[in-house]
Amino acid sequence: MTPTTPRTILVVDDEPALVDVLEHYLLEEGFVVLRAGDGPTAVELFTEQRPDLVLLDLTLPGFTGTEVLRRIREIRDVPVIMLTARVSEVDRVVGLELGADDYVGKPFSPREVVARVKTVLRRAERPAAPSGEGQDRRVGAIVIDNRAHEVRVGGKPVSLTPTQFKILDVLAANVGQTLTRNQIIERVSSDGDVFDRTLDRHIANLRLRIEPDPARPAYIVTVFGVGYKMVEPT
Amino acid sequence: MTSLIHEIRNHLAVAIANVEAFSDGVLEPSPARLRAVLQALGEVEALLRDLPAEATGAAAAGTPEGSAAPDRTR
Repeated sequence: MTPTTPRTILVVDDEPALVDVLEHYLLEEGFVVLRAGDGPTAVELFTEQRPDLVLLDLTLPGFTGTEVLRRIREIRDVPVIMLTARVSEVDRVVGLELGADDYVGKPFSPREVVARVKTVLRRAERPAAPSGEGQDRRVGAIVIDNRAHEVRVGGKPVSLTPTQFKILDVLAANVGQTLTRNQIIERVSSDGDVFDRTLDRHIANLRLRIEPDPARPAYIVTVFGVGYKMVEPT
Repeated sequence: MTSLIHEIRNHLAVAIANVEAFSDGVLEPSPARLRAVLQALGEVEALLRDLPAEATGAAAAGTPEGSAAPDRTR
């Protein structure tokens, strides 16, 4: 699997009118979509097509979603997001005990499901080293093009210093994860640059260029006493 | 009762996801898809009709009226 290969998502639900919707949203985002309406088909497709992520309904004909999860976990470790109309604590525990990476309650917003898919995929991509992979990173309206060394916000190119670019890239490679100042500095200054508290100033300048409202950051969030975290704007 | 709610959520999921897709322009609201939404909502309506009366509050409102009618005939 090379970084430029489109990600494949297996959608498992016995309601075709629901799978249709998810399929179209995922296709719009450039994913390849596989569909299964029952447990046995899901496991078969999982084995043969090797998807990168599974969206899995808990209640299925054939055997249940938890059984599907158990079986695919035996085959390969890929991210799984559970879809469920049964939002009781028991189901949550079972889902997470079996190693589901996330769950979405029904009814859901398909847009939100796609956002979760992207977040879980990004989290699963390891090691989260900065740049060098020739891969575009996307967070909300921000696109980081590592080949062109270019950043676009809402399609418009933004001019960044090399250090700002590296900081943004490191944060974007770890969306949703808090990175300490030391972690950021360590990863950004691999080529020998040394800076410490000036990191805060770099972040402030970065925010001026990429944030819709730099005074109230939507992308690069300060985690007080720890460091910084990049998030998908809500 | 819990499985009834579970079923209702499943049908609502179909209706809500489709309507959101129409409004986002991700899916065309074709006659077939509109029928699927209508059918899902129809299922919700039918399931709500099956709910035990005490859960809907219909029994509490209905009983006094029901018992008042025979009184008047006397």
